[in-house]
Amino acid sequence: MPVSTAPAIPLLEASALARHYPVSRGLFREKGLVRALDGVSFSVGEGETLAVVGESGCGKSTLARAVTMIERPTSGSLRVEGEDVATADRQTLRRLRPRVQMVFQNPFASLNPRKKVGTLLEEPLSLNTDTGAQERREAALAMMARVGLRPEHYRRYPHMFSGGQRQRIAVARALMLHPRLVVADEPVSALDVSIQAQVLNLLMELQEELRIAYLFISHNLQVVRHIADQVMVMYLGKAVEYGPKAAIFARPAHPYTRALLASTPTLDAGARRERVALKGELPSPLDPPAGCAFHTRCPYAVERCRSDAPALLPFHEVRVACHRAAEIS
Amino acid sequence: MPLLEVESLRVEFGPVTAPVAAVDGVDLALEAGEVVGCVGESGSGKSVTALAVMGLTEFPGRVRARRLAFAGHDLQSLSDRQHRRLVGKDIAMIFQDPLASLNPCYTVAFQLTETLRIHGTEAERSSAKLRRARALELLRQVEIPDAEARLAAFPHQLSGGMAQRAMIAMAIACNPKLLIADEPTTALDVTVQAQVLALLLRLQRERGMALLLITHDLAVVAETAQRVFVMYAGQVVESGPVPQIFDAPLHPYTQALLAALPEHNRDRARLKAIRGVVPGAHDRPAGCLLHPRCDYAVARCRSARPALEGSRDRAARCHFPLDVAGHPSRGWRPEEGRGLPSATT
Repeated sequence: MPVSTAPAIPLLEASALARHYPVSRGLFREKGLVRALDGVSFSVGEGETLAVVGESGCGKSTLARAVTMIERPTSGSLRVEGEDVATADRQTLRRLRPRVQMVFQNPFASLNPRKKVGTLLEEPLSLNTDTGAQERREAALAMMARVGLRPEHYRRYPHMFSGGQRQRIAVARALMLHPRLVVADEPVSALDVSIQAQVLNLLMELQEELRIAYLFISHNLQVVRHIADQVMVMYLGKAVEYGPKAAIFARPAHPYTRALLASTPTLDAGARRERVALKGELPSPLDPPAGCAFHTRCPYAVERCRSDAPALLPFHEVRVACHRAAEIS
Repeated sequence: MPLLEVESLRVEFGPVTAPVAAVDGVDLALEAGEVVGCVGESGSGKSVTALAVMGLTEFPGRVRARRLAFAGHDLQSLSDRQHRRLVGKDIAMIFQDPLASLNPCYTVAFQLTETLRIHGTEAERSSAKLRRARALELLRQVEIPDAEARLAAFPHQLSGGMAQRAMIAMAIACNPKLLIADEPTTALDVTVQAQVLALLLRLQRERGMALLLITHDLAVVAETAQRVFVMYAGQVVESGPVPQIFDAPLHPYTQALLAALPEHNRDRARLKAIRGVVPGAHDRPAGCLLHPRCDYAVARCRSARPALEGSRDRAARCHFPLDVAGHPSRGWRPEEGRGLPSATT
């Protein structure tokens, strides 16, 4: 299943993972079902970065909520260090949760403004471990030094920091319990270019030092190209292409991946591809198109795409869900 | 004569006795029919500049400029009444978050025709039927599918991309000579961003209007604009034509911004980051505003604030502008004990 040379038990393994939400469409109408995540399979090894790419509404954040065990998947399996989260009891979940931590997109919203940095960092320890106050304080200060915060910041409130420094605090908080996997949901998209580079560097340094794995959710392909090992491109709750970064960027196989790459603005005039202008916008997840979900916007769509949903099948070095992958490559 | 002229623009906030300048020292010039980019990080004063041009600076903000003129009219001496006649008609603006800029209580048709009712031609002002026809035509021009049905839609029924198209339709309703687009695609997904940018450029070409594109994304500017102004901490630090400014930047800030982009760091373990943060309006350093973050800063940079030097086509605000090889010129010497540092964190 995994594309890379994964160890015997990968850190995180999802197979046919799905999360559906029932939504009310009014008093007298039948309830709708949003398939926010619809049968996604992937694996992440130790110290590896899997980037999940896609536009809003593609299921990236639902994936993050499932992986961080905030929500139980509707079906499929999700194994963290070999233990299935989908069917685990509360005890097991409690034991597993500290191993997967999260960094959120907006550091202005994800830090409690009424708590000092020290308190924010010590909170995971006091909730999940039985360490003493002195021990917690030392752990917090050590983590602050590691992410590039000064000891005097311990007593400050989040509003006294800039966006980049707040994101450092958020990263430090996520690492307090020594997780094996950090889910980073658009961790740099709220930051300025010059600050973005600082935070990305920090994430990469921590990965080398601590061998953490990242599930890196982003819509910025330039950032993904820099940080990822594996890339999974999602569209309306399904993976459309999944494989090693180099292969996906060199020879994108799915028309959607191509469109994403072509739509990304670049400084390099020479490398600018012919614009594959995608028509239209993402269809409503409440009422996804039949067949291949992408067919309404795909320049290569044929009759078959409108009726048959393609499966994610191996194609050269990657896996791709497209009937015409071989023809159009 | 340039369409828009801004010289030594200063926008102050706070008490008169202790003012805080969010923008201090902005010089801009836009010719008719030109696409000009304005790039900078958050807090660099891009939006404050645009709002000052539009006359939308809110109390207690104070706008002062040596010259602030649009098509020969001095904007500072116009009465409010005359100003209102100009803004919204000849100068239009679109904003970052389209769903926050549309009024949620009114339909698209109402908001579109409102512009025409106030600024439209005499025929449009007197005939509701004509206004509605024009609104429909405008929605078609901005490529909104099923335009007729969308006229009756409320903003919450539109997607982000669709709402931004509706905003654009409103902005171009009276054939403006200048369109200011403040981060028009930042809130949109990549594929939709590409569509909206293409739309803006097509309208700009067809109508020969000038477009001032404000963004933090250098790549967007590189793909669309003919000229760029780079802003930092309330000042224009560099301006120039598009390929040159990215190929051979004169200002260390432009150079560092470009170097920090992931796409310039391919196959490299670490990105070349700029240390520190943009100074806030309250803690602007003495001397050159960039010096605490600049790799090349020497004693003179810490004491004397450089002026924007150069021609209208190419100017930089630096004591030691960079040469073609990217090294500081004019007899710059590294300080004792400091070689050429390379910031990585």
